[in-house]
Amino acid sequence: MSCIETKSLSKSYGVINAVDDIDLSVNNGKIFGFLGPNGAGKTTTIKLLTTLIPPTAGTMKILGIDAIRSPLEVRKKIGVVLQQPSYEPTLSVEKSLEKYGMMWNVERKLRQDRVEELLLSFDLAELRNIKNDELSIGQRRRVQVAREFMHDMNLLFLDEPTVGLDPSARRGLLDFIKDKAKDGLTVFFTTHLLNEAEYICNEVAIINKGKIIAVDSPEELKNKFGREKTIKIHLDTIRKDLSDLLIGIKDYELDFNSGTNITIRSNDSEEVLLKILQILTANNIVIEDLSAIPTSLEEIFLSVVNKSNASSN
Amino acid sequence: MHPVIRLVNRNLTISLNKGFMIWQVIFPLIYIFVGGFAYTALIDSVSYGNKTLGYPAYIASGMIGFNIMNSALVSGIIIWNDRRHGMFEQILVGPFTRTHYILSNVYTIGIIGLISATLITAVGYPLFFESVEFNFLTMPLLVFASVVGSILFGSIASIISTRLKSSEGFNVVINTVFLFFAFVSTAFYPAEGSPVPLSIAFYFNPLTYLVDVVRAGIFGNFDTFVAIEMLVLVTLTLTLFSIATKLLAKLEL
Ligand SMILES: Nc1ncnc2c1ncn2[C@@H]1O[C@H](COP(=O)(O)OP(=O)(O)O)[C@@H](O)[C@H]1O
Ligand SMILES: [Mg+2]
Repeated sequence: MSCIETKSLSKSYGVINAVDDIDLSVNNGKIFGFLGPNGAGKTTTIKLLTTLIPPTAGTMKILGIDAIRSPLEVRKKIGVVLQQPSYEPTLSVEKSLEKYGMMWNVERKLRQDRVEELLLSFDLAELRNIKNDELSIGQRRRVQVAREFMHDMNLLFLDEPTVGLDPSARRGLLDFIKDKAKDGLTVFFTTHLLNEAEYICNEVAIINKGKIIAVDSPEELKNKFGREKTIKIHLDTIRKDLSDLLIGIKDYELDFNSGTNITIRSNDSEEVLLKILQILTANNIVIEDLSAIPTSLEEIFLSVVNKSNASSN
Repeated sequence: MHPVIRLVNRNLTISLNKGFMIWQVIFPLIYIFVGGFAYTALIDSVSYGNKTLGYPAYIASGMIGFNIMNSALVSGIIIWNDRRHGMFEQILVGPFTRTHYILSNVYTIGIIGLISATLITAVGYPLFFESVEFNFLTMPLLVFASVVGSILFGSIASIISTRLKSSEGFNVVINTVFLFFAFVSTAFYPAEGSPVPLSIAFYFNPLTYLVDVVRAGIFGNFDTFVAIEMLVLVTLTLTLFSIATKLLAKLEL
């Protein structure tokens, strides 16, 4: 079943089309990554999908419910961690988790169990009696994300949840979300960090200037847009004459360091590699090491966004 | 539990802390006992209706109205803090509507108003004990004053907190407004004997009406004038409350 379904969803602020005619379909049990540079429209999309703001045009179904007609019904079933920080300054970490559970009508005993669990999972046990006001930005962000797991939900929206976290907290949070998704939670996750999306998302949409410019699994996106591969060949001796030998071959670079490095960057990197290998063997040159570097989502992302910017100009 | 009750629970948890107790109990106590007795040297007694009140009794009863007004500040602070710390949005993407949020604030200040009026009545009681004239109108008048007064001043605080952007602005404006209300009123000194412009200004101030209602309840001198004051209070409260509600309902996210 489809968890999020939008048709021509749009939101404009005056002349700015923050979200421009978006069709989205997110399936149950997936971690759906929503990627885009700053100002692309990620936060506005989340605010629309969580019914915080009304769309200018279009329709949306969240968990099968018409979100424009019955926003409260939608909100009862979703969890939301917005991009902007939110906290109760005067409450301790523990108390703020507990009260949040109360606000969601979670029964007292269950509430207390969850508080203990989450304090452990989010590495907050030592901070339990500290007031939110006195926490660092990263600690507050952890409380904000942890808090959302106080209540049950079918769908969780996370708007750049890892901003401000140190690398180990970041990894911890991503693994926690992955685990929840394994248990069947659907997650809509925005980030401008591609390695994050690559690490946890089953499906990724790339948004730029309010428009979705690509949707697919991270692997497929790489296949489609990332045919360019990088191959590195390392020779144990420095061969200054190599550029003469390789004359006529394109898409490679040489550098002489501790030995000679040949770097191939091409859409047809295998073919180029084959040609180079032939020349190397013909000249009895020994290859010490050969490695292929898969294209990261980051490179794809940049090239897709750049192309979309170029075509809209 | 109903969503509004859950929000009220949350509002009370974040509001009823040490700061609140100092503001609502210790501070008025200092006023009543230190101020009340110190000024007795200057203001020996106040003629009030058909009786003469000692100044401590006068100020203690005034403090009830003053306290109701202060407790209403709490609601402004809740809204302001919720906006500033992202909780307003967070609540609105949770299982609540704006109406729930607004109602929860109304109930919260109503409750806090009642609590603090009760506290100060209990504390001040020994002071106005001799002049007290409880009758069947006492309780209704005190409850009226707590509820109407807290919603009235709560609406003012709420309007200020939805209109303003910067944090310094909020503190300056709210302190100025409430300071004006406090001191240009009959809470601390009677209109009679004050300079004429000031005693006229007193009656452009809802706190004066509120304090009159409280005193009418405690000292048993309800009359037509007080009834008219109550009518003015209700009208003003309804107007300000509907403005506050509209502003909050339209607040952009
Ligand atoms: N309340 C608003 N009023 C006017 N413009 C807005 C508002 N919110 C967002 N925008 C504009 O909409 C665009 C998308 O913003 P946003 O959704 O926050 O992007 P992202 O989250 O991807 O960084 C930006 O150009 C931003 O300036
Ligand atoms: Mg954003």
